[in-house]
Amino acid sequence: MVNAAKVLQDLRASAERKPDVVVRLGKPLVESGAVMKLDADAWLVYEQVAIAALDVGDDALAQKCIQALETKFPGSPRVRRLNGMELEAKGELLEAAKIYKAILEEDETNVLAAKRQVMLLRAMGMNAEAIAALVKYLDINYPDFEGWLQLADMYMEEFMYAQAAFCMEEVLMLQPQNHIFHLRYAEILYTQDNVQLALKQFCRVVELCKDHVRGLYGIKLCTSRLLKSSPSKDATATSQEDLKAIDLLATERLLAVYSAGSAASAKSASTKWIEHL
Amino acid sequence: MAVQQAPSHLGRLVCLFAFLLLLHSGYSTFEHLSYLKAIDGHESGLPQDIVIELMASVAIFGLGIVMVADDFKEILMETEMAKQTIESLDARPSFYGFSHRGRAVFRNVSFKK
Repeated sequence: MVNAAKVLQDLRASAERKPDVVVRLGKPLVESGAVMKLDADAWLVYEQVAIAALDVGDDALAQKCIQALETKFPGSPRVRRLNGMELEAKGELLEAAKIYKAILEEDETNVLAAKRQVMLLRAMGMNAEAIAALVKYLDINYPDFEGWLQLADMYMEEFMYAQAAFCMEEVLMLQPQNHIFHLRYAEILYTQDNVQLALKQFCRVVELCKDHVRGLYGIKLCTSRLLKSSPSKDATATSQEDLKAIDLLATERLLAVYSAGSAASAKSASTKWIEHL
Repeated sequence: MAVQQAPSHLGRLVCLFAFLLLLHSGYSTFEHLSYLKAIDGHESGLPQDIVIELMASVAIFGLGIVMVADDFKEILMETEMAKQTIESLDARPSFYGFSHRGRAVFRNVSFKK
């Protein structure tokens, strides 16, 4: 049981979405009542298992967890948004909308309810309204990088890459040390055909995370595009020699990563393929 | 996900032994002081064997704790960041949507422990 509690805690910290693991570990805890032994963490576990149960379709388990939370925290907006999520999951979107509206009427600044409203609009298929609502939320809550990530995702669904790139820039201002955010920004730039800037961002990815394979591939793609196109007259553009040097470095690192522990036949095949990239 | 080590039974035994040594030296001190009171002797500090027993208990406790403690976590930010994957972008716990097939796929599945 100690093991299960630790795993659940790690999942809460890493924010991964693994509802099958959470339900598998959390259901026995909740049903046997052993969850109460965790003292303060018990309520966090109830919330976590409730959301995972909604993801997995186990409505009875979700209802049980939400009941326990309601008994402990009557009238709390956090519990009421869980009620709203339950209705969302069951498909009763208008009822859920009423709950979120009520929470926001009581407290305009309630972050949880505002975010759920955005997802509710998305679930109803009203993507434009969802984007508008999220933009309004981000106007007030500027440092919420999760919100900017969500907005970038929604813009990309509508193929509005310039706006998505802007959102990723905001994310990078808030969290400059995470190489994954740079990676997504680089890939959006490459999609927009802004190969110069994409190359710089891919280099940043590899700088932050040594030998990141996806970043190295990005570098190779950018350098091969730039080397094929005619040299730009722009003074700030990377020179041809520099491009060739970066290309060589990326090839070297990729070969090193792939040859670490693979059969000789695989090595020669991957060498041939990488060098022709 | 965290990996739990198998509990080190030897480590726990060593810790228990050290704790018993500590208790024993504590009780010896108490007995020694009552003896001194009984013979109206002066308090000249603890006898050497109790001190040695105390030091031994500390040393063995140190050994036991090292055996029982979890593995160290990395101190460099880089090693933690390197574990991030591109899927972590899609995590966003406050923005979960429920219109996915998970509800249909897992509806009647009972997860085995």
